[in-house]
Amino acid sequence: MQRQVMTLTVNGDRHEVLVSPRQTLLDVLRGQLGLTGTKEGCATGTCGVCTVNNAEGEALLSCLTPALEWDGEAVTTIEGLERDGRLAPIQQAFVEYGAVQCGFCTPGVIMSAQGLLNASEQPGEEQINDGMAGVLCRCTGHIKVKEAIRNVGRFRDAPAK
Amino acid sequence: MHLPAHEFVKPRTLAESLDVLRQAGNVKLIAGGTDVTFNMRGRLFQPDVLLSVRGLDELSGVGVDGDGWLRVGAATRLTDIENAPALGDWPMLRKACRSVASRHVRNMATLGGNLCLDTRCWYTNQTAEWRQARGPCLKNGVEACHAIKTSPVCVALNASDIAPALIALDAEILLASADNERRLPLADFYTADGVHHTVRKSDELLVAVRVPPTADATVYIKETARKGNDFSYAVIAGRKTDERVSKLVLGCLSMRPIQLTGVLDVLGSGELTEALIDQAADACRAELGVLTNLYTPAAYKAGLARALVRRALQTLKET
Ligand SMILES: Cc1cc2nc3c(=O)[nH]c(=O)nc-3n(C[C@H](O)[C@H](O)[C@H](O)COP(=O)(O)OP(=O)(O)OC[C@H]3O[C@@H](n4cnc5c(N)ncnc54)[C@H](O)[C@@H]3O)c2cc1C
Ligand code: SF4
Ligand code: FES
Ligand code: FES
Repeated sequence: MQRQVMTLTVNGDRHEVLVSPRQTLLDVLRGQLGLTGTKEGCATGTCGVCTVNNAEGEALLSCLTPALEWDGEAVTTIEGLERDGRLAPIQQAFVEYGAVQCGFCTPGVIMSAQGLLNASEQPGEEQINDGMAGVLCRCTGHIKVKEAIRNVGRFRDAPAK
Repeated sequence: MHLPAHEFVKPRTLAESLDVLRQAGNVKLIAGGTDVTFNMRGRLFQPDVLLSVRGLDELSGVGVDGDGWLRVGAATRLTDIENAPALGDWPMLRKACRSVASRHVRNMATLGGNLCLDTRCWYTNQTAEWRQARGPCLKNGVEACHAIKTSPVCVALNASDIAPALIALDAEILLASADNERRLPLADFYTADGVHHTVRKSDELLVAVRVPPTADATVYIKETARKGNDFSYAVIAGRKTDERVSKLVLGCLSMRPIQLTGVLDVLGSGELTEALIDQAADACRAELGVLTNLYTPAAYKAGLARALVRRALQTLKET
């Protein structure tokens, strides 16, 4: 099938990419754009490790959507969270609270948490469960992840490291 | 695994979309893509044209019509439905939307995609290689079913969490094609055949869902393995009108949502005593038909259906 050129803004950078209808958004992020922070786990919508944020800052699964759906749209990936070498508050919180072990799920878990925080600066317990149920970590578990999310405020005004 | 080769088409208007549906042969609609993308990866669908309605203006939005009916565009995302202020008057619909999958999925998934969700089966919703090992079935044009060897029809399950709630609320749907528009009760949309599981014609598109206003007490229960990401083992939606149980709809156990009219007959307008609730729950098995496929054994499904009827009636008794 004919490849076509699409425009995709990722982490603020506008790209023109040649994609095939056979590719998902995840394929294009990792393949054409070399942004391999976003992982492929199950490719069935169950594990959440492919999570990126849409222009509204909501979490979505890049493995479950054809790339061409996103022509002209913008997404944020894990690579887009840090600013000038400084980790985003949620990333810093994950480091401080030990919410990372092997790290394979971490980009997806952090982008899920960021999606949650984009909707509410201080999400309650029910909101945290709702926002994080769609992403699975098989080594750290969700306790430390939730601790990091609850305490993200501590890292919002932290001095640059 | 890449998607199978196809042409991806995303028109800007409903009229253009209907034109594509009329003219192209092997077209598959895609909205949120949360089920279609997965099934295409497994080569369950290999369309020539993938026709996207995601974000189409004419298919999006939640509002209340002049006659007081709720109107939800088919391409409205489940997250947007949950958050719509108008849903305050239809709490069961909000609950049903919220019960679907995870926040991630609901940020993509649409109401139309949920109501048109293709039926699911252990043997078929797998990778192409996995399916090949067993050979084709009714879903691929061969007279055979792996789930029930002797079955003349496909017994894949309707997995929609929202359809039972909307049927209990007497919702109607709007279908449009290039030269026609029709409305029908959602209850009449589904058939007892897993292959052609709705009466949608190939050139038709689901445009919107309308729900009549009601102040009736309702109940909605979903039973599943892990709350927040799993398909249902079963769901039940119920409703009480003028002190009488007027609807009980079981979902995810059969090729279509099952309206438990026999159970309603047993209940009549009697008081919901423990004895009557038990009697009604016992009556439900006769209405379920064959039970098979996906996640749990038949005996578990029968027990679960009975338990859900009991729990729904107990809740309605208390409200
Ligand atoms: C991990 C996971 C868990 C899930 N759990 C649940 C669950 O608990 N409950 C549940 O109900 N579902 C569940 N689903 C299935 C699915 O995500 C939802 O049903 C969702 O609402 C489907 O909507 P969509 O817009 O993504 O549909 P799509 O995948 O885009 O389409 C689904 C079907 O509807 C058709 N279609 C879409 N729009 C229209 C239209 N306007 N007119 C006619 N046909 C149309 C498509 O052709 C396709 O056949 C789950 C999915 C995943 C990946
Ligand atoms: S239930 Fe349907 S999809 Fe499953 S094996 Fe039988 S015919 Fe095929
Ligand atoms: S890779 Fe997308 S949900 Fe698992
Ligand atoms: S840190 Fe290993 S899977 Fe989550």
